[in-house]
Amino acid sequence: MTMGVQEIEDAGLILNFGYNGADSHPIVQRRIIRARQKGAKIICVDPRVIESARIADIHLQLKGGTNLALVNALCNVIYTEGLMDEKFIREKTTDFDEFVEVIKKYTPEDVSPICRISPEDIRKAARLYATTKPAMILYGMGVCQFGQAVDVVKTLADMALMTGNFGKPATGIGPVRGQNNVQGACDMGALPNNYPGYQSITDDAVREKFEKAWGVPLSNKVGLPLTHVPRRVLRPEDPSKQIHAYYIFGEDPAQTDPDINEVREALEKCDLVILQDIFMNRAGQYADVVLPSTSWGEHEGVYSCCDRGFQRFHKMIEPPEGVKVDWQIISEISTAMGYPMHYNNTQEIWDEMRRLCPSFAGATYEKLEATGGVQWPCRSEDMSDKGTVYLHKGKFSNPDGKGRFYATDWRPPQELTDTEYPLILNTGREVGHYSARTMTGNCRLLRSLEDEPGWVQINPEDCLEYGLEHGDLVRLESRRGWCLSRVSCTDRTSPGAVFMTYQWWIGACNMLTNPNLDPVSNTPEYKYCSVRIECIEDQAWAENYVVTEYRRLRESMGIDVSGEEAAVQ
Amino acid sequence: MNAFVKGNPDLCMGCRTCMVACVVSHTGRHIFELDPDDYTFNPKLHMVKTRAISVPVQCKHCENPACMAACPQKCIHMEDGTVFIDTENCIGCKACMEACPVGAIDMAPVSGVYQPDGKERYVANKCDLCREQSGGPACIRVCPTEALKLVSYEEIADTAQERRLAAAKANADGSLGAAAQAK
Repeated sequence: MTMGVQEIEDAGLILNFGYNGADSHPIVQRRIIRARQKGAKIICVDPRVIESARIADIHLQLKGGTNLALVNALCNVIYTEGLMDEKFIREKTTDFDEFVEVIKKYTPEDVSPICRISPEDIRKAARLYATTKPAMILYGMGVCQFGQAVDVVKTLADMALMTGNFGKPATGIGPVRGQNNVQGACDMGALPNNYPGYQSITDDAVREKFEKAWGVPLSNKVGLPLTHVPRRVLRPEDPSKQIHAYYIFGEDPAQTDPDINEVREALEKCDLVILQDIFMNRAGQYADVVLPSTSWGEHEGVYSCCDRGFQRFHKMIEPPEGVKVDWQIISEISTAMGYPMHYNNTQEIWDEMRRLCPSFAGATYEKLEATGGVQWPCRSEDMSDKGTVYLHKGKFSNPDGKGRFYATDWRPPQELTDTEYPLILNTGREVGHYSARTMTGNCRLLRSLEDEPGWVQINPEDCLEYGLEHGDLVRLESRRGWCLSRVSCTDRTSPGAVFMTYQWWIGACNMLTNPNLDPVSNTPEYKYCSVRIECIEDQAWAENYVVTEYRRLRESMGIDVSGEEAAVQ
Repeated sequence: MNAFVKGNPDLCMGCRTCMVACVVSHTGRHIFELDPDDYTFNPKLHMVKTRAISVPVQCKHCENPACMAACPQKCIHMEDGTVFIDTENCIGCKACMEACPVGAIDMAPVSGVYQPDGKERYVANKCDLCREQSGGPACIRVCPTEALKLVSYEEIADTAQERRLAAAKANADGSLGAAAQAK
């Protein structure tokens, strides 16, 4: 995020785009609600009526998969109605003319039938965004989880650029990250193309710095994105580059990756699968080795918040005997494989990392403890350097210090609906369950709120057409797989579009999703594929199937299910 | 007169933390001390979501409770500003559930107590304003957006007084009195 989370409350306007804070991050949503109470305007762009849509001044309930067409049209209105910050564009940016060449084709009238939003609503939203200051954009997986994702991010940045909404308090654009500490994983270089601190793997000077620090030669080739793994196991273009071993930790690709039939096939075929996690999960069932590791209450360290904020966290309880901390496991594996790695505590690791990453250098443990948190960049250890609440003050990070406009044409999602698969499937989160549910699935209170097989939201019109009642179990099918789910009859989703959450084992929507990737980020198109619904005549059979199958899965993970209610025959 | 808990749909984000807090509060224990097999998940308020609204709904603690009148066992009582169910003597006849005009009552099992058919015993279940816990209703205390509040008769009376005043002024529009005030 270019802004700080705390700044949300000071925004004059929030463009809430493809971001469902209420289910993904209630703590961030709380800030959005407070901003609203303080008088902020809210524009919500989402194909469903999410909680933010209820409290928005304008809700653009667009058809899924049409993000870029809409953003181009919003830019078009701002341009044609002369609502830009011309001084900012002149002094702080480049490539505006090329950008205009593209967006001028996207008139509200042309885009209206694509997005299913009236030209007047597009104009109203563009005017409100351009004329309310300070305006910030918060976006989420509704932008990122499409085959065309990075283009939308860049064009949202264009909107902020052309209205001068950068480099000032409570402005900018904010990707409110998918999960806790995913920002931290990126910050620490758990990416195929970067060392820690976003230092490029292909930059020789950077590589030499890390080689010197670690005393080993390092590769200068960009690695493989996570989402390419199944193909490199099952169908490698070059057999010599086939993947034979897969070390997974803190992740459940057999649940959360798209087209999980393919993922499971890949895990099956892999010669060696290692799982390092706190509890068993679906990927663990394919593991040759399981390394139990500590959970968040059993170790200490630093998390990065979505707004670049480092926060120290502390150990509360002792882990069970024999369970090790992640960094100790990694050190021991590394040592056993021939690279002796030894640290006495997390501070030694953190200090080494700071020495190698200029933009994190000033975030000492001492400073994190004293201030409660530091947002990078923080370059000086001096206590007066308190980090950076918002980015791009005065200049942008490009070599010329200017923000670069970028524009391109909209392209539709890969798998469109047809007579065979007539419904759009959109997927997302369940508020009570964190990510793959590896942790929260073990919490009875949260399971009591929502449990297997989960819900599929269907518009009442579609329910009527299919003869479905709220609470019925249905079978959903796509070209890749099938699953069972329970009907939630609600007009929060549009006719022709259904919605499911992704953490259920029986109601696993990723059996259906399409592994089409954005060419730059390699993030899959979780938010759009085509499916069909098959009604189940024998509801008693289906109810029984859910109970017995869930029980069987849990039993196969070594969970004691003897005390639980058995299926009703 | 009895107060009641009311939710504000402009602040509510539908997270249901209130429902979890309600269950935990009525166990009388801390959330980290709960044995997962030793309590009933019986929230006494329920999240209602429509296209335009998200808000939890719970008992209004009526002054002349329909549930109390309907109960053949006389096990719904009114005491210290609360309408509450004596679940020990509840026979599970559902008369209160039928009678309640806001749908605030449902039937919930009691952990570890069994009916003749072998299932856990079901009793009537509704908000009691956490009368046996200190600190007031748990739902209000945990709500991340402060969407829930305890509404007292006095507050409603104050609002009513303000509305009467506004109505009187509106009625008087164009009268001699209004003209006199304008001078």
